[in-house]
Amino acid sequence: MSNVRIALTKGRLEKKTLELFRKAGYDCSELNEKSRKLIFALPDSNIEIVLAKAPDVIAYVEHGVCDLGVVGKDTIMEKGRSFYEVMDLGFGKCRFVLAVKKGENFYETYKSRKIATKYAEVAKSFFDNKNMDVEIIKIEGSVELAPILGLADGIVDIVETGTTLRENGLVPIEDVACVSARMIVNQASMKMKKHEIQDFLKKCEAALEVNENGE
Amino acid sequence: MKKYSVSTPEGTRDILFSECVLRQGLNVGLKTLFSRRGYHEVITPSVEYYDVFLDSGTPIETESMLKLIDREGRILVLRPDVTTPIARIAATKLSAIDTPYRLFYFQNVFRSDVRHAGRSTEIMQAGAELIGVTGIRADIEMIALAVESLEASELTDYRLEIGHAGFFKAVAASLGASEDKIEEMRRVVEEKNFTALNDILKDFEESPYTAALRKLPQLFGGAEVLNEAETLIDDGEAVKAISYLRSIFNELKAAGLSDRVIIDLGLVNEINYYTGVIFRGYATGAGGAVLSGGRYDQLLAAFGRNMPATGFAVNMDALCECVKKPEESKLSEIIWYESGALREALSYMNGKREGSAQLSAAPDIKEAQREAESMGLKLTCVGNGARKL
Repeated sequence: MSNVRIALTKGRLEKKTLELFRKAGYDCSELNEKSRKLIFALPDSNIEIVLAKAPDVIAYVEHGVCDLGVVGKDTIMEKGRSFYEVMDLGFGKCRFVLAVKKGENFYETYKSRKIATKYAEVAKSFFDNKNMDVEIIKIEGSVELAPILGLADGIVDIVETGTTLRENGLVPIEDVACVSARMIVNQASMKMKKHEIQDFLKKCEAALEVNENGE
Repeated sequence: MKKYSVSTPEGTRDILFSECVLRQGLNVGLKTLFSRRGYHEVITPSVEYYDVFLDSGTPIETESMLKLIDREGRILVLRPDVTTPIARIAATKLSAIDTPYRLFYFQNVFRSDVRHAGRSTEIMQAGAELIGVTGIRADIEMIALAVESLEASELTDYRLEIGHAGFFKAVAASLGASEDKIEEMRRVVEEKNFTALNDILKDFEESPYTAALRKLPQLFGGAEVLNEAETLIDDGEAVKAISYLRSIFNELKAAGLSDRVIIDLGLVNEINYYTGVIFRGYATGAGGAVLSGGRYDQLLAAFGRNMPATGFAVNMDALCECVKKPEESKLSEIIWYESGALREALSYMNGKREGSAQLSAAPDIKEAQREAESMGLKLTCVGNGARKL
């Protein structure tokens, strides 16, 4: 049986992913301990886990040095290119929204609009689909600042509860997309290690169903 | 000034020593194979007019073509693929010759890609095209050649997957969906994105077609996939595609070439370009396809000569990554010749294993001795005086 290497997104999605793997019958206890290790071989299995930042998960899976990955749909929309996206894991849910300053009339103007965002590609394709020519300004930190400071007319960003937006006087005016954690698979691995990967995916699927039934 | 003088442009690289030997070996293997199967080599220019690709319907995005402007202000591109120039040749230069044309090439192609993503701008491709003949025997010939190409390359392990553009097209057409919706479905089937596919299919009334589409991302594996697909659907075109693939598979099986051939009915990449069978090769050690091809019956018409065609290209760079590097031949001996004995020295070297001997550039024999000693090599001296030594 070939080894299967999985890249997990560190941080927000990590705990839920490990919980899922545990329910699927894998011993992930070593990953729960605080350590500086980056690669973990799960005991009594052919599974190896790598911890990485979200965009790196995509890079590793695309190049095939990891066979599978768990990563948010937001990163896939921004960075994704060629891999299989086989499973919606259902957790890590949030929304991509277009938000503007309260009272701002975003659409009803002939002036070209400026959008501040961490997700330049997502914003670009959202407005492309509307046949709108907007200027996109890539911001790395708190995007909410940009409209307040007058740099942009609106933002495209991830929203979980909307509190941050409200506290900064911004309102979401349109949903861009719904986001959740996804399981992605390298295209070559899917074919070269079909049996091992499908076996793993089936176990995860079964564990997800248990989750949905509220057990 | 120093900034760009020490590195190669992004996406390009220098290839050195053992990697060159490896490439040469793979090239010779494939060239021999193509020639044995009756294919003829062509070499096309590195630059072509942009228009060659613009109106041809090739699936290469214009953004990824590297462009130049010539003296008259016309736009040129570094060829982004070889199939399109070959179609140009077949439709024009070869019109006096009887079809079919069996052509092969070993050329690099250029595609600019996103920055810092570890992808190459310059890719070495080997490929074969069979132009001017349609039907299952032409497809079998091409797929068999693809299998043989991978087989000849001494890979640890590989798979060749076969799909058919007609299957998805027939099923999607039966749904009566809009063009945009079909493209959306095609994309999620290509990604094997079950969730998104289910979401799209919710808008359609349940039918055998929706059920078949829902299954499509899972319809890959051995010949059993075809049996499964057959139970899902009894529509004319889709069933035709399935039995076509079955006939190909059976023929390969009888030839002993089917061990590593798999079926993927969800292989729907670039189906606006491919008109029939589509196939891809994967190998242990490469994260993407090392081979891709299929039937493209519409390309030639773009150059004014309507002819069916099929072919494939091997990504030689990716293939090299999957093959064990040969051991570099070790230098064991240097040769010093007396003035007037160069011919003798050269013929002496001809009898040695390649790479094991070099001429010494030392001005005199003492220097040559020091050189051999410091490098731990045998010194052979050629010439009258040397013999006395």
